Order: sequence, then C-alpha cells, then structure tokens
Amino acid sequence: MNTWKGTRKGLTIFFFLFPTMLGILVFNVYPIVLNTYISFTNRNKFRPKPDCEVFFTGLLDPLCWPQFRQNAQGGLGQPYRLAEPLFANYQALLGKLFSAEALMALGKILLAFTPLIGAVYVNRRLDREIERPISSGGVWLIAIALVVGLGVLLSIRAAFNQLMTTGPFIIVVLRTILFVAIRVPLTFVFGLTLALILNDSRLKGKTFFRVALFVPWGASSVAILMALVWQFFFRQQGTINQLFSQIGIQGPIWLQNPVSAFGVVVLADLWFSYPFFMVAILGALQSIPVELYEAAEVDGANWWVQLQRITLPLIRPAVLPATVLTSITAFQMFGTAYAITAGGPLAGADTPGATEFVMVYAYRQIYQLQNYGRATAFAVLIFIMLFLATLYSLRITRITKGAYES
Amino acid sequence: MFKKVMPLIGLLLIASFVLAACQPAATPTAAPEQPTTAPAEPTTAPAEPTTAPAEPTTPPTAEQVTITIWHQWDGKYLEAITQAFKDYEASHPNVKIDLSKPEDVANALNVAIPAGEGPDIIGWANDKIGEQALQGNIVALNDFGIDKAFLESVYTESGINGVTWMDTIWALPETMEGIALVANKALVTEEYLPTDPFAWDDLLAKAEKFYADKGIPLICNQGFGAEDAYHMSPIYFGFGVPAYVDEDGNAYMDTPEALKAAEWLVKLKAVSLAENSYDICNAALQEGKVGMWWTGPWAIAGIEDAGIDYTIVSMGKPFVGIKTLMLSKNAVDRGKAEVALDVMKYFTSAEVQKKLALVNKTIPAQKAAIEDPEVAQLPAVAGYGKALAIGVPMSPSPFSSAQWGPVGRASAAIWTGAQDPQTALKEAQAAIVEAVAGMK
Repeated sequence: MNTWKGTRKGLTIFFFLFPTMLGILVFNVYPIVLNTYISFTNRNKFRPKPDCEVFFTGLLDPLCWPQFRQNAQGGLGQPYRLAEPLFANYQALLGKLFSAEALMALGKILLAFTPLIGAVYVNRRLDREIERPISSGGVWLIAIALVVGLGVLLSIRAAFNQLMTTGPFIIVVLRTILFVAIRVPLTFVFGLTLALILNDSRLKGKTFFRVALFVPWGASSVAILMALVWQFFFRQQGTINQLFSQIGIQGPIWLQNPVSAFGVVVLADLWFSYPFFMVAILGALQSIPVELYEAAEVDGANWWVQLQRITLPLIRPAVLPATVLTSITAFQMFGTAYAITAGGPLAGADTPGATEFVMVYAYRQIYQLQNYGRATAFAVLIFIMLFLATLYSLRITRITKGAYES
Repeated sequence: MFKKVMPLIGLLLIASFVLAACQPAATPTAAPEQPTTAPAEPTTAPAEPTTAPAEPTTPPTAEQVTITIWHQWDGKYLEAITQAFKDYEASHPNVKIDLSKPEDVANALNVAIPAGEGPDIIGWANDKIGEQALQGNIVALNDFGIDKAFLESVYTESGINGVTWMDTIWALPETMEGIALVANKALVTEEYLPTDPFAWDDLLAKAEKFYADKGIPLICNQGFGAEDAYHMSPIYFGFGVPAYVDEDGNAYMDTPEALKAAEWLVKLKAVSLAENSYDICNAALQEGKVGMWWTGPWAIAGIEDAGIDYTIVSMGKPFVGIKTLMLSKNAVDRGKAEVALDVMKYFTSAEVQKKLALVNKTIPAQKAAIEDPEVAQLPAVAGYGKALAIGVPMSPSPFSSAQWGPVGRASAAIWTGAQDPQTALKEAQAAIVEAVAGMK
C-alpha cells in the first residue's frame, strides 16, 4: 500500500514535469546539441545533404529521420562529413589566438585594465571606514590614471593590433566589446543628464519634453528605417556634408573610414537607446524622498555633493539591471549596424569589416555565405563566452539585492 | 502492475500520434496540391509524387494548373513581362501564372524546396546553375525532352553555353546581360569618349581631364567601393585576368594582371565619387553630375524615359551573364513539369523576347530575335552587342559562387584604402581557394 502511494506520487510529479521537460529537450537541448554537432562538420551550401550512414548524423539530422527522409534534397552535391581535422572550423575562427604572441597581447590588455577591478575592491574597503581618506571618485581617477599609464607602458595599441591579425573570432568579439564599452556609458551619461533636467521642478512643459525625448524609443520599432535616415545623414552627398559645404568645408566620407563609420553606428544606436535609461533613471529619481535633499541643503551640501551622495547611490538599484540589459542588447547589435554600414567599411576578402559585430558576422556566415559549419562553430564559441559572462553578471546583480535590503 | 504500465502505454501512444502528425509532412503537403490542380483526375495517385510526374501532365488540357515563378525582374521591366505572361494565360485558360520576387532567393529556396513548397520555375542568372544543381533545387532538362538540337535551333551559342554544365542542360536562356559605359552626350563630347576598349591609360587621362575641365567625375560605377565583383569585371578582365575562378576551380586574383587592374582602380578613385550605388549613379547621370554610367541594359529604359541623349561605349571585358529560367524539383514532384516547361519555352521563345526587347531594351538570347532587324537596330542592342561580344561568359559551374564575396570585398577594401592592392588580392585569392576547397 505504502509503495503504491509512493509510485503514484512519483507518477504525478512525473506527469506535471513531463511537458516542461519535453519542451526543454525539444526546444533547448536538441538545437544546442545539433548546432554543436554541425560545428564539427564541413556542412556548407555545396554539401547540404546529410550522410545518414554516419551514426551521429543519422541520429541528429532531422532529414535522416524516417518521417522526413523523403524530403531530403537530392542534388549532385556530396553529403557533409565530419571536418578534418575535427576542429577545423574552430581553428579557422580562432586563427593564431593560441600562439605565444597573441596570448601575450591578450594578457597585456587584461593586465592594463586590472586597476579598474582594484578600484572596486579598494572602494568597498574604504566604504567600511568611518572617515574616508580619499573619495570614491578619487580612487576611480587614480585607477583610470593607472590604466592609461599601464596602457602606455605595455604599448597596448600594438597589442591590440597584434590581436586584430589573429583570426575573425577575436576581431569580431573585441570590436563588439569595444562597442558595448563605448555605447553603454555614453547612454548612461546622456540618459542621466536628460533625466536630471526633466526631474527639475523648475522646468516648464515637462510632459511635452518627456514625450519628445521618448520618441526615439518608439522609433526603434522601425529601427531599420530610422537607421537608413542616419545613413543618409552621413553619406558622401548626405545632409551633414551638404551643411558642411554651405560653410565651405568639404566633409569627410564618413562611412568609408573605419573610425568614423564606427562612430556613426555608436551615435545612431545612442539615439535609439538613451530613452530607456532616461525613463529608468527618471522613475528612480522620483522615488527619492525630497526630505533627503532638504536635509542635505541644511547641512550645506552643494548640488554636486548631493548628486554623488544621494542621487547616484539611490538610483543604483534601478540603473544596474538597466545597464546589464543595455549591455546585452548592445552586444546583440545587428539592425542599426547592418542598415547603416552592412558591416563595412570592408577591410578585405576575409577580414571582418570595421562595424562587423558578432551578430553581423554570424548573419554573413549563415545567410550570405551559407557556411553552416563555420557559423555554428562561431555560435558555440559565443555561447561559451556569454555563459561565462552571465555567471559573472549574476554576481553583479546580487549587488542590487544588497542595495534593496540594507 | 497493469495500472503502472498504463500511463506508459498512453505516453507511447501520444508520442506516436505526435510523430504520425509529423509524418504526413512529406506526402500530404504534395497531396492537397493534387486536388486543386487535378479535380477531374483524383486517381492520379498522390501517394507517390516523386514517380508520377509524367502522368498527370500528359493531358494538361482540362485541369486548372497554377505555375509559380520566382524571379528577379524589377520595376519597369516587370510590366512588359507580366503582360507577356498574361498573354499566355489568355491562350491557355487552364494555366494560371503566379509571379513573385522573394527577398533572399537562395535561402528561401533551401527552406521551401525540401518542404515541398516554393516555385515551379526559378528565373535566375546562369552562374547559379551549378550551385543549385548541387543542392538539388533544380532538375536537368534533358529528362524532359530538351536536347542540344532543340537549343541550337532556337538560342544563340553563348546562351546555350551558359545553360550547359557537365554536358547537361539545366535551364532555358532568356536574355544576355553585361555592362558598358553609357555616356550622356550632352556632357561627354567626342574628346572624352574612350576609343579602344582596352586603352586604360587613355580612359584614366580622359577622366582626369574631364574632372579638371568640368569639376565632376567622368565615370560612375555602382561597384566602386561596394561588395560587387560583377560591376568590377570589365576592369579585371580587361586588364587580362582570364576569370576570377575558372571551371576547374583555379583562381586568378594573385596574377600581375589583377594587380595592374587594382592599381588602375586606385588612380581612378581620385577623380570619382567615393560612394556609389545604383541610385547614386542613376541620379547623378540624370542630373548631369557625372558623365558616364558603367551599367547594363536594364538601366537603358529609365535613361530613355528621362530624356537623356546617350551613347553606349564598350570598355574592357564585362562578365556576360545569361538570364535563365530553371525548372524546380518541386514542379516535377507536383506533376507540373510539363506545363512549367511549356511556360518556359513560351517565355524564352523568339517572338516573346523580341517584344520584350523592343520595350525593355534587353538583349535576347534567341537567334531569331537578336537577328531581327527591328531589334538589331535598337541602340541598346547594337551598343551592348559589341560589349558582350568581347566579354567573358559567366560559368554555370558551382565554383562561380566562390568568386563574388572575395573579389567584391577585396575591391571595396582597395577602393576605400583599407588594404593595399597587393594584400587585398592575395587575401581574395586565398579566400577563393578556400571556398573552392570546400566544394571539392
């Protein structure tokens, strides 16, 4: 009797869990396994067919399953096989990343940025003291000075250029990280400034400005169109250069220079994304009790001190998740970059272009070159990288919890 | 015990139902096609769609057949072409022709064809033949009564070569295309026109003089600065590169001829627009902001509409592409091959192409059409005829698809100065070699 109850309980649990488990298996696990398997094959547009005799292909490729077998393409092409050597696709992507020089260059770059991590820890230590010997801004300034100093000392530019010749993966990822590192702080500063202005009680016509400044966020639903408008601004014969020619200056060709093309994409994406930060910060600002500022006034704190000591710490719980979210969307940047530059200016037959970010590169490998083996290997590498980043970001978001509780 | 097993059995039953629901994907998607196309003949066994293509089509008389064509025809071109298909529908009341132009044909086909969807006829350039045959999206026409003798009786030699790969006929040729310089006579006087299609230094000198005299570029080419190996072809081939990649898969981008062409390109950039596109060149020519537009017959109708007095001058050796109609694997599976083939023969016939040439200024690939005096005296046909005669035919071999990306990207990098010609061409060569290796 007792055992029957146990089985029944077990079955009940099983049936409640089964649909979800099935969903996870079919929609998460299977695609990941298939993708990883394809990344070890030489599948491309000339080898579209599966060779069902190979054990794993027969098991994993849907076209080998009896239900779909008769749909498999005929054609004269050879079936795809395991790549030789097995890691060929990964080798092509990583290139010389694991050579001594490249690793050294990577180490140098990481080393140069360690003072920033140090600053976080020093600040945390100092926060526990009653009387801070040095303000947190001061610590950051010293850290940034150290980064610059180390950068010069280790000739970080040369190291960066060294890395840029290793292989497509590191080029694309470094460029994307650079994009995130420039775009997210810019968005924050811009969004914070506008939110502070909009939150000022002396401002008249607040509703109008709030709506007007929120328009880009709405426009991002037609992002491609708006991106084309931005592209039009910066064409050789575009609006900006027309304005320049009015005052007798011949404008540069923005989209054919790697640096200015990158800048244009950053600018356009900044325009699309600042409203998100602005609204998040504005909401947080309005939840700060006015008494705090009044008390600060009584203590004789000026605007800057109030911003540092009251505003910024109190909006942190709202800003941190927003930062994580924006960083993720910036990392996935595709539409704006593709519409404005299509990954260009092109830098050569096999070298990724100056704005060829992770998603743009993946798009080209799959949809333009139909190089499935290479594209899936790229996806696996990005997955590993993002998995590690997510583990780390979970640690960051725990700070939010602390801010709410204490 | 029995109760214990019951849920398991139930589960297995559900699983088998789910799988059974997937199963029909193959057969019944083809089957519903049958009732709509053949309501009179429900006996034509939808069970084996792959083996029964011949039966239902032999009498293509009574039942209603819809032929779907995926094509690449644009804007003004399409009007006359649609009319031609309407004429066919009028004379064949049982046939309905459905024209559509998907965004990304290559990917759309790879999804649609294995699922039993998609077109019966694909209108595409002949360089796609090898690739599509490898993927199994198109079928050889030899099995449907098209032979060399028939081709020779209707089409020009270059048209026939363009659709034949590995001694097999894969498509029917429609028109020929290539690019040449289209000069605005109001701006470009005799002294600036190139005299010899291979006098590159002379053309460069004329472009420099034109720029100095009038302050505007002489030549606009949408391939300058863009990923566009097609529009760069007259320059590379004109300097003596035999092909980007030949039928055996040998690449020629690291040759001294290619380097010379790239160096010439760098010099020409100084007197050209930095950014070029179809729209920029079109607008610039019509507004008199550029002297000549290096483009193909497809642009002529628009230029004539704008009232520009033009002349066509051949320069270098352009790629000669053959626009073709291919028969998809699905037309065969659905039993529509014969009707589809009839539509293809109709559209690529001399009289239809003659009509289209007169309106659209296209260069027909039919002997009777191109030799027709009315067509031959068209300025576009006469002008492009010369350019195409010295051009390099596009190869239907699958290696063709290895050339576009590498050569286009390298040329763009050379144009913007991101890479010097030597490095760029070396990288392009390596990329083509790698892509060819991926096919072998």
